[in-house]
Formats: sequence, structure tokens, C-alpha cells
Amino acid sequence: MTERPEDGGLERTLSEIGARLDGPKRDLWPAVRMRIAERRARPWWSRLALDRTTLAPVAATLAIILVAAFLLTPDLAARAAQVLRLPGVQIYQVPQTPTASSTAPALTFAGQRVTTAVEASRIAGFTVRTPAALGDPSAIYVETAPVRATIVYESVKGIPISPQAGVSAIVVEFKGSLETQIMAKATGPGTTLDAVPLGGAVAYYLAGQPHQFFFFDPAGNMQPETLRLAGNTLLWQDGGVTYRLEAQVSLQEAVRIASTLR
Amino acid sequence: MEGRPAEDAVLVERAQHGDTEAYGDLVRRYQALATRTAYVITGLSAEAEDAAQDGFTKAYFALGRFRPGAPFRPWLLRIVANEAKNRRKAAGRRVTVDLSIAEDRLSGDTALSPEEAALASERRTFVLGALGKLREEDRLVIAYRYFMQLSEAEMADALGCARGTVKSRLSRALARLREIAGGEVGLGD
Repeated sequence: MTERPEDGGLERTLSEIGARLDGPKRDLWPAVRMRIAERRARPWWSRLALDRTTLAPVAATLAIILVAAFLLTPDLAARAAQVLRLPGVQIYQVPQTPTASSTAPALTFAGQRVTTAVEASRIAGFTVRTPAALGDPSAIYVETAPVRATIVYESVKGIPISPQAGVSAIVVEFKGSLETQIMAKATGPGTTLDAVPLGGAVAYYLAGQPHQFFFFDPAGNMQPETLRLAGNTLLWQDGGVTYRLEAQVSLQEAVRIASTLR
Repeated sequence: MEGRPAEDAVLVERAQHGDTEAYGDLVRRYQALATRTAYVITGLSAEAEDAAQDGFTKAYFALGRFRPGAPFRPWLLRIVANEAKNRRKAAGRRVTVDLSIAEDRLSGDTALSPEEAALASERRTFVLGALGKLREEDRLVIAYRYFMQLSEAEMADALGCARGTVKSRLSRALARLREIAGGEVGLGD
């Protein structure tokens, strides 16, 4: 740029000012991540309010077929109300879900059964943590394809035993990424979603009618996940690991349990 | 500088495919620039951080419209600047860019005599006051050049104007700034 001689002083002063301008006083990413999550949740909320009045009589249970259609058909997928995308986790709301089988599946968990979190961590390749508030786990299962740890609490004082699975609580942990593993969860109109702070991040609490889960394995095959509690669910992420707590407890209690992860 | 576009592009692509943490890397990379951009418009650091956060959030949801291969930085700054402008309009007040906290550091003035340092500080304060009286667009073009060292191409993208008009816009903005600040504290030296 051609400058007149007297431009020098002004430009130098401007550069000095620039060197003194502060950046943000804190890392903005946690707050941005929260806003992204909240904005994702927004349309789902507003639609939920409508659904409650218009679809109240509809027996809403789970919809593997319907949700599979949402996921497998690009146009429908685009229209699906995706409310949450933790790594590896997606939640879609569906307007109506067909009646699920009332037959509770037998309580079996896939993977290798181990007795300690240390052993589970060694197999899983990441640190498997357990919430101290739930006491000692009854069992820990580790799957390796995809890698996932399921910690089972058969009976915890103060937490009712789920009629769907016959246990009090389940904690599922996995290192998820959308490229390698997608787990989806269908939520019906009777389900509520809350975003709550947890240890500087955001956690999501789903409550209401039972849910059923399924996920896509690395080969892209849909795997139904019918052996879980499917009760109230808290989802959160910490250190690249996504955690899911399922137990018939209140939001406050779920957050309290989650905060005792050791 | 050379490595950045490719790396940004990789992170953008990952974010477009749902990798939120990749977007987190972009936020951390550009949060200082974004906050400065917002700050030049809002004049309040708390509001600038808020505007930058909203800008990043809007940019995230606009990633689907981001043109592959385009530079991410000016695209982002344009969104952040728009967010900050909307906030300032909504607040309906004039900008007073306050550097009192930064001035406490006196960084860079250590080689100057106390008198020279005091004069330099006074010059900065005065120029800042004058900047606050400029139009938003003039302030932005000056900030992009002198506060953030954007290239002309990036400035054009961030300002949404043709590359050929960046120079003339900058020199007009400087002329207006000089008119307001002119000569009073030795800026003509």
C-alpha cells in the first residue's frame, strides 16, 4: 500500500493497539459446545409440546423399523429431529412408535465378563470408570467389536429394579465416533429431554416411557440393543468417552451418581 | 500460514461429518481472532466473548453451506462480525473500545523512557477513542489489517467485498480516522 509519510505514526499506533488487544479470558469451546447442544435440542422441545397434545392417545413405544427408515433414507434422515450428537451417539425423535414386544428379554449381556474395572480397562483400551454412588458392580462386560464396557448393578438400595431387565442400574461406556460407531436411540412423544450441567460439560437426561436402543457397528450393520434397562437415561461425555447411565432415578439423582465416577 | 488452509479444511470436513471435537479444534484455533473481531464492534469484552460464542455456534450450523476449499478463517470472521453487529444494533449504543486492562500490562513499552511510554499510551487511547467514532465497516477494515493482520484476500472475504476494493476501503477508513484523531497527539510524526 502506498503510504503518505504521516501515515506511519497512525499505523504504528494501530499496530500497537492490536498487540495489546486481549483474546478471550477463557476457553470458549465448552460454552460453544453447550450452545450447539442446546440449539440441537430446541426444535425437539417445541415439537414435543405439540406432540403431547396431539399424539397423547398414541401408544408410543419403540420404532426400530421407523427409525431405521429415518436413518437409512437420506431425505428422511435429513428431516429426522436429531437432538443430540455426542461422539457415537445420536438421538432421533420419531412422531410415533409401534408397539414393542411386551416380552422382556432375558438378562444377558454381550462380551467378556470380568470382575474388576482394571481388567475391563485393559481389554477395552480406555479407563473404565464406575460411579462410587452405586457401590460395587455386580458384573462388568467388555465387548471389543465395537469396544464397549457395560457395568451392571443388579440391586442398588433406593433404585427400583427395572421390569424390562431385572437390574437396578447399568452404566455403558464407549469411545464413540461417528465414523466407527453410531448408536441411535429412538425417543417417542412421551419422552422428555433435559440438558443439565455436569462437571463443566453438559449431560442429557431422557425420561419417560421405556426406550430401545440400537447402534451401527463399524461395518454399518444395524445392531438392535434390546437388553438394556431402557429406563431413565443420563448421557454425558468426559475425556473422549461417552457414558450412559440407565436407572429409574430422578434427574438430580442421576447427575449426583454421574458426578461420583471414579 | 501455508499449512493452515489444508488443516482447516480437514477439520471442517470432519466437523461436517459430525465430529464435534474437530470443530472444537477450530474454535480453539480462532477464538482469539473471533473475540477481537467482535470486540472491535461491541467494545465490551464480555459481550464480545458472548458474540464470538454465538458466531461459532451459528457457523457450526452453517457448515453445510461452507464451500469446500474456501478459507475458513474469513468465513468465520464474517459470521462473528455479523453477530456482533446485530448485538450492537439491539443494544443501540455507541462503541467505546476500552483497553484500560491491556494498557496496564505496558508490554512493548519497556524500551521507552517513562515520558515516551506515557505519550505512546496517550496516543493509543486517543486513537481508540477515534476508532469508536468511525463507522462499523471502517473500524472492521482497520481491525482486520492492523489488529489481525489478515491478507487482502482474507479481508475481502471477511468483509464480503471484491478484493480490488480492499485497499481503497482501507485507505478511506484510515483517512477518516486521521481526520478524527488528526495531529492532536503527534500522530503525524
